[in-house]
Amino acid sequence: MNAVRAAVLLAAAMLLQWWWSAHLAYWGAAPQFLFALTILIAARRGPVPAMLIGWMWGLYADVLRADLFGADALLYMLAGYVAGQFRSQVDLEATGPLAAAVFLLSWVYFLLRGALGSIFAKSFLWAGWIPALATPLLNAVAAAVAAELWDTRRAR
Amino acid sequence: MQRETRIAHYVAVCLAALSLVLLSLPLSSPVRAFKACAAYVFDPLPYEGEQGYQRIAQAPERVRALLTADVQNRRLQEELRGDAWLRATTQSLTAENERLRAELGLKTPAALHPLWAHVMERDPLRWYSSFSVDAGEDRGVTLNDAVLGRSSDTVVAVGRVVDVRRRESTVLLLTDERSAVAAYLSSGTLEGLVQGQSQNSGLLLMNYINSEAKIVPGDTVFTSPTSVTFPPDVLVGRVAAVNPRDPFLASQSVEISPASNAAALQEVLILRARAPIGREYETERPVAVSSDAAASQAER
Repeated sequence: MNAVRAAVLLAAAMLLQWWWSAHLAYWGAAPQFLFALTILIAARRGPVPAMLIGWMWGLYADVLRADLFGADALLYMLAGYVAGQFRSQVDLEATGPLAAAVFLLSWVYFLLRGALGSIFAKSFLWAGWIPALATPLLNAVAAAVAAELWDTRRAR
Repeated sequence: MQRETRIAHYVAVCLAALSLVLLSLPLSSPVRAFKACAAYVFDPLPYEGEQGYQRIAQAPERVRALLTADVQNRRLQEELRGDAWLRATTQSLTAENERLRAELGLKTPAALHPLWAHVMERDPLRWYSSFSVDAGEDRGVTLNDAVLGRSSDTVVAVGRVVDVRRRESTVLLLTDERSAVAAYLSSGTLEGLVQGQSQNSGLLLMNYINSEAKIVPGDTVFTSPTSVTFPPDVLVGRVAAVNPRDPFLASQSVEISPASNAAALQEVLILRARAPIGREYETERPVAVSSDAAASQAER
């Protein structure tokens, strides 16, 4: 039953990401729910499930963007790995540090994605200043809201 | 904890390798194609939205066409009302003209009965010479009836009927060398005889113009009131060139570019001298024209 519920939640997150990106993105800025949730899962469940889910969500994000297939899978997976590794040093269970981590990792994500573009697409894939500045903030807010929902549900 | 970290390392290495393989492969184009296909199949909104947008986008165009048609309809109705007034005025003037002619003792001109006919056949060997029309004895056409045409909303002289059969007739064009029509120049009302030319079938020759007259290329030429066949003031053509004067002749001649393009004519107006037996083919009221026979010698 838990597996089914988890699958439904994963699919719902993917659907939310697609719908928001398609209809509510302004000037290219939209929260990366899947990225934020990957870090949240890493903080709450450890790096291995976060990496697996993050890699799958990354592939989905690659399909949505379709400019550098495999880049998001690698970066989402790395975000889950890094968050999972640092959760022993930093209290990522708390909402504040989690939001800060998501904010920083989002910036690292943009820089690494550009670098991967330089290697595999022969041009630095720069998302633009507005998405690069707004998206980490949106990701942090999304991660904080998701963490609060997670905690509320667990408290019941 | 050590075990989990070790597993995380393995998983990270495996997934990173897999990701790098995916990055190395040229998968962006196939993924885009798959995405477009999936979007078309699973997300009908773009397709339906496009269809709906097209329908809505065409709506203003249809409304505009409707409004344009309405405006044209109103304008045509006004023109029709004006035509009715013009017809009444014409009838009044015709009646007045007939009364004055009667008082002066002038001969009342014979009424002509117009009839539209289609050009049905052209002889390739005599392209500028004649053509056949689908009106003959059955519709009241008689020999030497005048044939007019339309050129840019202007009625122009085309030729005359030279052969009448049961259901068709042959029209001899003005450009045929056997044709001739009395005409005058608009600049000085100088009369002359417009004839077809055998050498240059596309142009007419206007002869017997006063040798002292100053003629300018571009002058318009109309049928003369002295013409037997044609009603007066029907456009024949324009002066294309003035021929050099012959000092031994008392007249000069000019080349006329005919107003009617015989090759482009599809319908012609035959002015029947005789009233038709039945009125089923009548298109207009009879037209009164002057037909003073005094100058009939000028025209064959």
